[in-house]
Amino acid sequence: MNARRSVMFTSFVRGLYLPVLVASLWILFRGHNAPGGGFIGGLVALVASVIWALAFGTEAAIRRMPFGQPVRCALCGVLLSLASGVPALLRGEAFLTHAWFELPLGFAMLPVSTVMAFDAGVYLCVWGALGGYALALIGIDEAEASA
Amino acid sequence: MAADGAPGLRRVGVSTALFALLPLAVLALVATRMAGAPTVSFSMPWVPQLGVDLAFRLDGLATLMLALVGGIGLGVFVYAGGYFAGDLRRTRLLVLLSLFLVAMVGCVTADNLLLLFLFWELTSLLSFQLVGFHREQASARGAARQALLVTGGGGLCLLVGVLLLGRMAGTYSMSTIIERGPGLLDHPLLPFALGAVFIGCATKSAQFPFHFWLPNAMSAPTPVSAYLHSATMVKLGIYLLARLDPAFGDWPGWELTLVPLGSLTATWAMVLALRERDLKRILAWSTVGSLGTLVLLIGLPGDGAAVAVACFLLAHALYKAPLFFVAGNVDHGTGTRVIDRLGMLRRQMPFTALAAALAGVSMAGLPLSFGFLAKAAMKSAKLEAETHAILLAVAQSSVFVGAVGVAVAAVAAVRIFWRHPGVNETPVAHEVGPAMFVPPVLIAGFGMLCGVWPQLVEPLLTAAAVDMTPGPHGPVVQLGIAWSAVWATIAVTLIAGIAVFANWDRLHALLGRVTLLERLDLARGFESLLKALPEGAARLTRRLQHGRLPGYFALLFGAAVIALGALGVLAGLPSLPPWETPDLVTVGAALTLCTGAVLACFVGERLPLLLASGLVGYGSALLFLFAGAPDLAFTQFAVETVFVIVAASLLLKLRRLHSAVGLPGRRLRPVALLLALGFGTLMATLLLAVNAVPLDPALADWFNAHALADAHGLNVVNVIIVDFRGLDTLGEISVVIFSLLAAWPLLAALRTCVRAGSPAVAAAQPSARATDRSGGGAPR
Repeated sequence: MNARRSVMFTSFVRGLYLPVLVASLWILFRGHNAPGGGFIGGLVALVASVIWALAFGTEAAIRRMPFGQPVRCALCGVLLSLASGVPALLRGEAFLTHAWFELPLGFAMLPVSTVMAFDAGVYLCVWGALGGYALALIGIDEAEASA
Repeated sequence: MAADGAPGLRRVGVSTALFALLPLAVLALVATRMAGAPTVSFSMPWVPQLGVDLAFRLDGLATLMLALVGGIGLGVFVYAGGYFAGDLRRTRLLVLLSLFLVAMVGCVTADNLLLLFLFWELTSLLSFQLVGFHREQASARGAARQALLVTGGGGLCLLVGVLLLGRMAGTYSMSTIIERGPGLLDHPLLPFALGAVFIGCATKSAQFPFHFWLPNAMSAPTPVSAYLHSATMVKLGIYLLARLDPAFGDWPGWELTLVPLGSLTATWAMVLALRERDLKRILAWSTVGSLGTLVLLIGLPGDGAAVAVACFLLAHALYKAPLFFVAGNVDHGTGTRVIDRLGMLRRQMPFTALAAALAGVSMAGLPLSFGFLAKAAMKSAKLEAETHAILLAVAQSSVFVGAVGVAVAAVAAVRIFWRHPGVNETPVAHEVGPAMFVPPVLIAGFGMLCGVWPQLVEPLLTAAAVDMTPGPHGPVVQLGIAWSAVWATIAVTLIAGIAVFANWDRLHALLGRVTLLERLDLARGFESLLKALPEGAARLTRRLQHGRLPGYFALLFGAAVIALGALGVLAGLPSLPPWETPDLVTVGAALTLCTGAVLACFVGERLPLLLASGLVGYGSALLFLFAGAPDLAFTQFAVETVFVIVAASLLLKLRRLHSAVGLPGRRLRPVALLLALGFGTLMATLLLAVNAVPLDPALADWFNAHALADAHGLNVVNVIIVDFRGLDTLGEISVVIFSLLAAWPLLAALRTCVRAGSPAVAAAQPSARATDRSGGGAPR
């Protein structure tokens, strides 16, 4: 169905895809201290998937999503967020009380936290779930059903 | 049974006998208490927070009810064993009957109102199962549903009454409520509480206007009809009223409600009995009449009424249950219950004829039967009752009721067994097995025995009557001495009854011509109401869930405008914040927003419309950005971008499939314009009013102070989302994924529809069909 692809558009998307994804990750990780976060990051990543679908078909876009399927991606996101609260339970604190560690990198100390896992879960869930909607709608005229 | 041979017969006997142990145990319990044993009570907390105790109390009235449950129950169990001999469903029937028996025992011995309600509803549910026992018949299923809806609905009313009574008395213990009852007579809630209890009892005991379910419940097997619908379950309403009589009998409304209610029910039921040709339905209507008489007697003041209620409860069970058995035997032996086709059955069915004669004598109230003593007690109760003349006059309608009762007894005992049916031929008939004629003969025979030797049941009845009477000293039952006082009225009833019997066919034809009675058929009205309910609901759903998005929006915004507008009018105009000159960026953002909105109103194509609405989104994102909400602006930009891309792609693809439906004509729609202007004005006023109130900074200050210190984050918004309110966020992302899972089938259906309707059948607007099927199908 998607035979009428424009060469210009596809090459444009090919160049844009990775930078958009990187930007989405950057937005995800800067979110704690500057505007951004998992929700916005997920939306930006979704933009990447959507333009890829427009250029190369939804099937291809879905294959490029984490875990290869929108629903699975969203489910893993929710589970990751859920799991990020468990360490607090093990330490006897309230569920989702986030812990911070300093990770030595040699030249500097990198602060890491369960909150990052939580935000990454939000990121995956937004990307997967909204991607499920968007790609299904974009792909309504495609021959192969892509679950 | 015949095919099974003798061993099968023995097996029938053994299993039935095992089940019959249950009523036998109840009877044994009654027997130990015949000599006026003291009241026994037992209580154990069950749900103390709600005031529900497993409290049971065995007094005179409970013992009398237990005697009915056990005595008639024993006959019913044996009869059922014969009635369903060789039938695989017999065990199911016996199990259901046993459960019913337990529920009845619980109901009449419960000393906690909520516990009583529980057993009460249990009897309704089991009645549903038993009436619909022949579940392959549509009529049985309909009757079962009707019985359940009427008695179950009445049960809910009873629950309301029970809760009110419990609230008023401060306890749900029945004995305590009855003690405190006279003190509650002036309570403002008492009329509501007792009214609700009355409705509950009226549905259970088939009082007007809920009487119609009882004759329809006759599609149940005969043992069930004899047990539930004449001897026990329908007496529960009577039982509860009798139980509450000592507490609330002095309330003025008690008499004013129950006496007319009972009289009306009895008279009406007897008129309807004359219209029937089916023996079982005739008996059913006369049962309704007897129940009406019992309600009337409970309504009457005086000690004599209590005696009469006790006597009539017993007498009615002792003759009506055998008559139902007789009807079942006749049906079994001849294949019909229509009285026109029956006659001279005494030759073929001698034992059934004997049972019918014994029961009929008692029902007619002939001397030397227990029915006679009960009638005498009723007459003297009415004579001694000191009450309004009008109510007494109403109570005299019982002469008519008694006359038709005599006639019904004669129909059951004389007409079909002795008289020739005229031109109709007598059907081929055979006598039924002993399991089916021994119970009615014994029960009816016991009724005769009590008539000659009333001392046998006197202590039982005295104890019951004492429990139904307010005051420390109850009445003393002295059966058999009322003869001289009441013989005249009884003779009148008898003669009138014989006259009705002699003219039965003529009266029947006369009443059949009265079309008014058919128009007043409440059963049909109830059924058409039941049918109208889902139809009305479907019509309403079609009106509200039409599947047209503009319609939903109009309803939503219209409702919001009206509700909030009314609120604004009531509260007066809010104070507005002082004027602030906006900076250039804000003005620019607002202009972008307005341009998009105005453009959207005037473009006639879908794609430009989408872009215009995207402009509105970007404008508001700009506004957020410069109003100090960068996160929100960021999100808005991203959402708007994704939405426009996806929607545009969708529109282009639909257009390529030639299935995009054009926009409706661009004409000015005044209602929509008014709605838009109204909603816009309202929201603007609301926002201004909100801004006029100074913001309480406590929450913002707290988060600002704690975000970095506790959560190591500078972006307060994000820290709130992932840390302070992390659980909320977890819930939200779960909702997101669940919404996708729920939408998945719709999306798949959409794809299928689009593909099915792709280029070949392009012109047929498949997308409209697709949205109909996927979107419009959801509410159903």
